[in-house]
This record gives sequence, structure tokens and C-alpha cells, in this order.
Amino acid sequence: MDWFVVTSALSLAAMYGLLGIGISLTWSSIGMLNLAHGFTFAAAGYGAWWASKNLVKAPTSGTDALIVGGAGILIGVIGGLCVGLIAFLPLHDRPNFPIRSLIATLAISLAGTQVFLLWFGPLNKPLPKVFSPVARALDRPKLEFGPISITWDRVGAIVCATLLCVIVLTWVRLSRRGIQMRAMMQNPEGAALVGVSVRSTGMLVMGICGGMAGLSAVLLSSTFFVSPSAGTQPLAKGLVIALLGGLGSVPGAVIASVLVGFTEALTAKYFGTGYTLFAQYVLVFGVLIVRPRGIGGLLAQVRE
Amino acid sequence: MSTEASKEPVVREAPRQQLVGRRRLLLRIPVHADRTFRRRRWPWSKTSVVSVSGRFNPKTLGRERFVSHKAPLWWLVFLVLTLAIPLIAGTDKILTIASTFTIYASINLMWMLIMGTAGIFSLASLAVTGVAAYTACWMTINWSLPWPLMFPVGAVAGLLVGVIIAIPARRMDGMYYALLTLGVSEICRAYALQARWIGAQSQGSLSGGGGFIPDDIRFTATGQRIGYIAGFLLLLAALATYRLVNGQRLGLLLRASQKEDEAVSESMGIDFQRARLAVFLISSAALGVIGAFYAGYFRAASLSLFGTDLLLLLFAMIVIGGIGRAEGAVVGTLVVTVIDRYFIDTGAKRILLVAILMLISVLFTRGGAFGLKDQWQELRAKRRSSRRAARSTRRGQVLPEEAPDIHDKSLIYQRRYDHAQREHLKALINDDLMEEHRRSPTGLHSENLERVMLYFRKNDLAGKYCVYAIEPFKRYRIVALSGLPGVPPRTIDDRVYTTIDDAYHAVFLRRVNDLRSR
Repeated sequence: MDWFVVTSALSLAAMYGLLGIGISLTWSSIGMLNLAHGFTFAAAGYGAWWASKNLVKAPTSGTDALIVGGAGILIGVIGGLCVGLIAFLPLHDRPNFPIRSLIATLAISLAGTQVFLLWFGPLNKPLPKVFSPVARALDRPKLEFGPISITWDRVGAIVCATLLCVIVLTWVRLSRRGIQMRAMMQNPEGAALVGVSVRSTGMLVMGICGGMAGLSAVLLSSTFFVSPSAGTQPLAKGLVIALLGGLGSVPGAVIASVLVGFTEALTAKYFGTGYTLFAQYVLVFGVLIVRPRGIGGLLAQVRE
Repeated sequence: MSTEASKEPVVREAPRQQLVGRRRLLLRIPVHADRTFRRRRWPWSKTSVVSVSGRFNPKTLGRERFVSHKAPLWWLVFLVLTLAIPLIAGTDKILTIASTFTIYASINLMWMLIMGTAGIFSLASLAVTGVAAYTACWMTINWSLPWPLMFPVGAVAGLLVGVIIAIPARRMDGMYYALLTLGVSEICRAYALQARWIGAQSQGSLSGGGGFIPDDIRFTATGQRIGYIAGFLLLLAALATYRLVNGQRLGLLLRASQKEDEAVSESMGIDFQRARLAVFLISSAALGVIGAFYAGYFRAASLSLFGTDLLLLLFAMIVIGGIGRAEGAVVGTLVVTVIDRYFIDTGAKRILLVAILMLISVLFTRGGAFGLKDQWQELRAKRRSSRRAARSTRRGQVLPEEAPDIHDKSLIYQRRYDHAQREHLKALINDDLMEEHRRSPTGLHSENLERVMLYFRKNDLAGKYCVYAIEPFKRYRIVALSGLPGVPPRTIDDRVYTTIDDAYHAVFLRRVNDLRSR
């Protein structure tokens, strides 16, 4: 077994899983397929880049890394709320909401890409490695564990993404707002009848999913770059995961993200990076033909 | 009276009349009673070429005819302008934009058949076009296929891809199918980029294929004009296909099953799955023909046919025009193609404009640009009825609820005028006026009294008061006329007046009382 492939697959799975779970949650709770998730992602990436340029001298210390990461998450939350403000609040009680919100989020992502292009220019912006302070503090470039050696960035990505997922899912299970969210997932009209505010809960969901996109932007952009169309690829991956797992099913999304991560790492190793999307869609094709509603997709049936 | 006033009589200007309503803008067709009535129909169908309605106009008291369904006329104007303007303007840029518009519009029409009529949310339409374009182009390069054969080859290729994509369409729905078809187009893109047999040419695109514009005039103005006319013919063919599929039996079956429950229509014997499949395959074959046209026009097949950018742009066109209407697809395509190609120098801003238009159309309109008319009329009707409901004084006027039932609208205005006149006269009546009438009920009166009495005189005969002489010059009574022939007047009360002037004045008082109480 090639440990490099395994670790890269896991880190990719963690970061894409954040996006996929965000899309899945949005769909199941407010019934909107958020195609502007990539816009939120890119906005958070630019936010983190701006913070690393203006708020921080050189991101060497731990607090500076925290500031950069926090800025990314904050901008992600704001981006998610903006998308909700434009595509969810005015449309959610109109007829044909799923298709119309889909078009609206598509328009937002189209406009967002052009705004970034006008504002920041077409050049890629490098983001500092958020986990380099850890390496410096421990005086080790990589985590060595028997035959396994992983860069700190990957470790950090896996740990942070898993941690955030666990926190959010626990919160959804246990807190009062989380119960409201789950009530809305099961039956939006019923939830509204017993006094759950569709609008405020919807905006809450948008904010949380935006924050998750923001974290994954910070984690991914330290490996890749921030560019106007940086959101497109992660959006495609997130969509693949959300649909493969079955829209609205979090365990399904987790399984799907691991599957997609492994597919991507393996195809990149054995066939070359040009084939990664190809392989993913072939995987999707196969799974959807066997299970037309995704791996864990039952809720979608209830929703429609 | 001063002399100056008598020299210059006061000329009162007539108040300016506002033109109200749009009736005068309606296109009227002369009515002829001397010729035989003939209705022209589209060949092989029972549909009229132009549907004309006739009716009686209560204002002019004559018969009038007008075009009741004007869409075909607008189509004619639009198509003639679309054909003429690029040919007359004739610059390189405009002709290229116009040809691109015809290809995109044809693709969008077929896509609309799939999404609107068949109700299948497929994003692979562009990929079907692309596969057909690649196939046709490859065959002309490697097997030196003559160009007229490109179209059947494209149709077969499109049909084959359509069959492959249609297999999972039966089982999945909505977003899952959309993602699957997006995946199909991505698979095609990756394959075209990597495959060896496409010839390891630049960036996965084929070039140097055969085309229908002869080589020697291809880059001249004549060649471009030929290309545009061919594109226009393609657009006409696409419109005809749309009309034949959506407006005929298949479209009717599908509309029935979408409007009602699918289970209901199935129980009535409509096999809507089969109809959906038929529409899907027909439009896939048509998309293949469009792909072959693309290859023949550009003599190449490029990777952008499988890309998301062009797909998004086409989707934006449909959304801006309005999903589910042929005119929406065509006009949306025109608007977005002009923005995208003509203002290409503005860079990113033009796509931003397209995105904003898309956002506006989804946030504020119900069915794109072509649903705006209905929406606007509905809004007006709502505002009008709320304005009417807010008005509280009625006093003999027509209530808004009863207005639609009154066929002759002049009655409504008559009652409104009557109301205004009564209000005016009420203000004129005072003690001096009464005293003047008491002193001399007949003869010359002041202007105000004259106006009041004229109004009383022209009242309806039914219920009108009059003086009845029991014994001339001695005893008079007041009676009210029945208004019906043969029915005698009824007595009002048993008061008896000794002079006729007293009786006249009593009638006057009664009428004033009636006026005030209404």
C-alpha cells in the first residue's frame, strides 16, 4: 500500500467532504441546490489572502495563522449569508423554488467570478501555509510515524476538517437550533406549523455552510492558489460528493467524499491529473445507475 | 353691464380630452359584406394562418374585425428583420455574430424541447451537438465525406448519443439526472482532450474538415452571407421542429401529463414515458444535425462544445428569455449573443451583465422576459381593483363589481356623469333659490334655478311628478306618472292646492327633496 496515496486521498476527502456536506445540508434543510458554494469558497480564499497581506506581517507565528484562517472562515460565513440573502430570502415562498434558486445561485457564481476578475485581476494569489508554524515549533518538516510520513498541512487539513464536521454535526444533533434544522429537513411545512422560523433557520444554515466552505478554502488554497475561478473545481467536487452520497444524507456524503478522494488520488497517480474529473464522473455514472438516489439517498424522496 | 364685457364675449375653452385606453391602437381590418368569406389555413392542417375575430362595437355601432392572435405577425416581423439587418449591414463582425446567433438559437430551441416539453432536466444537449460535430468533422477529414452527407451522419450520431443518455433518464429525476448529464459532457471533454485518434491535434479540437461554403469564397463577404443564410434556414428548421413537436400530438400529451398528475394521465391511457422518450430522441437527432452544421460552418469542432462556459451561457439565454417558450429562447439568445460577442472588448463586464440580467429575471419575473406582459397586466388589475375598493362614495354610480356585466360601457359613464351633475346641482340649491321659485314658478328665472329645473325636466317619465287638475282654477293635486302606457298615474297624497302656482311649487319641493335624499 502506498501511504502517500492514502494520506493525500484522505486529506482531499476531508476538504471536499466539507464542501459536499455543506451542499447536502443546504439542500436537505432549505431545498436549495447551492451552486454559489464555489463563489463562497473563492470569496473566503480571497479574504484569507487579504488578511495575510494586510493584517499579518509574515505568517510565522501561531496567532497569525489563526488570524488568516479566521478571516477565511469569517468571509465564508458572510459569503454564505449573502447568497442566502439574494437567492433564499426573496424566493423561498415563491412557486418553483428549487429551479429558481438554482438559477439564482448559478447567476451569483457567474457574477462572482467576474467581480473577482475585475477586482483582483486574473493572476493567481498564493496563500501562506497555515500549518507551517506547527512544523517550526516541533522543528520537523513532516509527521513521521513508522513508514508513514505526512506533511503538516495534510495532517492539519484532515484534523481540522474532521473536527469541524464533528462539531457541526454534534451541534445539529444536540442543540435547540439543530433540532429546528432537523425538523425542517424532515418536513418544512410541519416545522413552520409548529413555530420554526423558516427564514432565520435557513439563513443560519447558509451561514454555517459558508463557514465550512471558508475553512476548506483556507485548507485547500495553501496547496493550490486563489484565483477568480478557484471555486469551480471544488464546487464540482462538492456537488459530486453531495449527489453521490444522496442529497441530504450526511453519512452518505462522508462515504462519498472518501470514495471521491481515493479515486482522485489513484487516478492522479496512475493515469495523470487530466483524467481525475473523468474518473470521478465515471464513478458517479456507475453508482447512480445502481442506486439512482445516491448511496444514502432516502431523504430526497421525502423532500419531493 | 359694462361696454367692454359686451364687446368681448367670454370664450370658454373646452377642456382638453385625454386619450384613454389602447383601443384606438388596435389594428382593425376592414369589414366586407360583399365578398365571400374565406379562411386561409396552413397547408395540411386546420390552423388558420392569421386568426381573425369579429365583433360589434357599441361605440361606433358598427362591425369590426381584428387579429386576435398576433404572435405569427410578430414572428414574421422579427424573422424578416433578423434576416435583413445582417445582410444589409454586412460587416464581417455582424455576419459572424448573426451566424453564431442562429446556431445557438437552434440549439436552445431543441434544448427547450427537452427541458420544457419533455420535462427532462438534461445538461448534455451541448455535448450531443459536440459529439455530432466531431463525428461529422472527423469523417470529412479521414473518409473525405461530401458535405451534404454530414447532416445525416450528424443526425445518426446525435440519435445514438441520445439513446445512450436516455437509458438512465427513466430511473432518475431532477438534480441527479442533471449531474449525470453534466458528467457525460465532462467525460466527452476529457476524452476529446486525451484521445489519440482525434489526431493529437491542438488542444483536442479537430480542424480542416469539409464545409458547405466553397473554399475560394469562404472568407469573402459573399461566403459569409451564404453562411448566414444557411444559418437562418437552420433556425427556421429548428423553429418548425419545435412547433411540430410541441404544438402537435406529442406536446399535447406531455402537457396533459405535466399539468395534471402523471398517474392520472397514465390511467387515462397516455403513455407519457414513451412520449418523453420520443421527444428526447427527436431533439437529440435534431441537435446532431445542428452539430453537423456547426462542423460544416466552422470547418472544425472545438472543445468549447463540451465546456461548462458555453453551457452556462446557453442556459443564461434560456433563463433570460423565459423557459418553455420558443420566442423566449430565440430572443434570449439574441440578447445574450449580442452582449457576449458584440461587446467583446469590455471583457469581464459583459459576462457580469449577463449574470445580473439572469438574476433580475429569476428574482423579479415569473417566466423570463416573455412572462413580463402577463405579470404586468396582473399587477395592473390588482392595483386597479384595490383603488376601486378604496373609493367609498357610490351614490348611483356603477359599482366596480357590476361593471364587467354591463356590455355597453357608455352606460357606466352616463351614470358617473349623472352623479357628478347631481352633486353640482345640490350645491346650487339654497333658500334664495327656493324663494325665487315660490314667487314665480313659471317664466324667466335666474341661471341657477334654470339649471336645476332643466335637470328635473329631463328625468325619466316613470315616477315623474305632475299636476292634476281636479277642477280647473280651483282644485289641484300632485300625481306621479307610471311611465307605462295604459297604467294610470298614482296619487301621492291627499293635499289639494287652490292655485296652479302652489301646485307647481309643491312639485318643485318634492323634486328637490328627492334630489337631496339620493
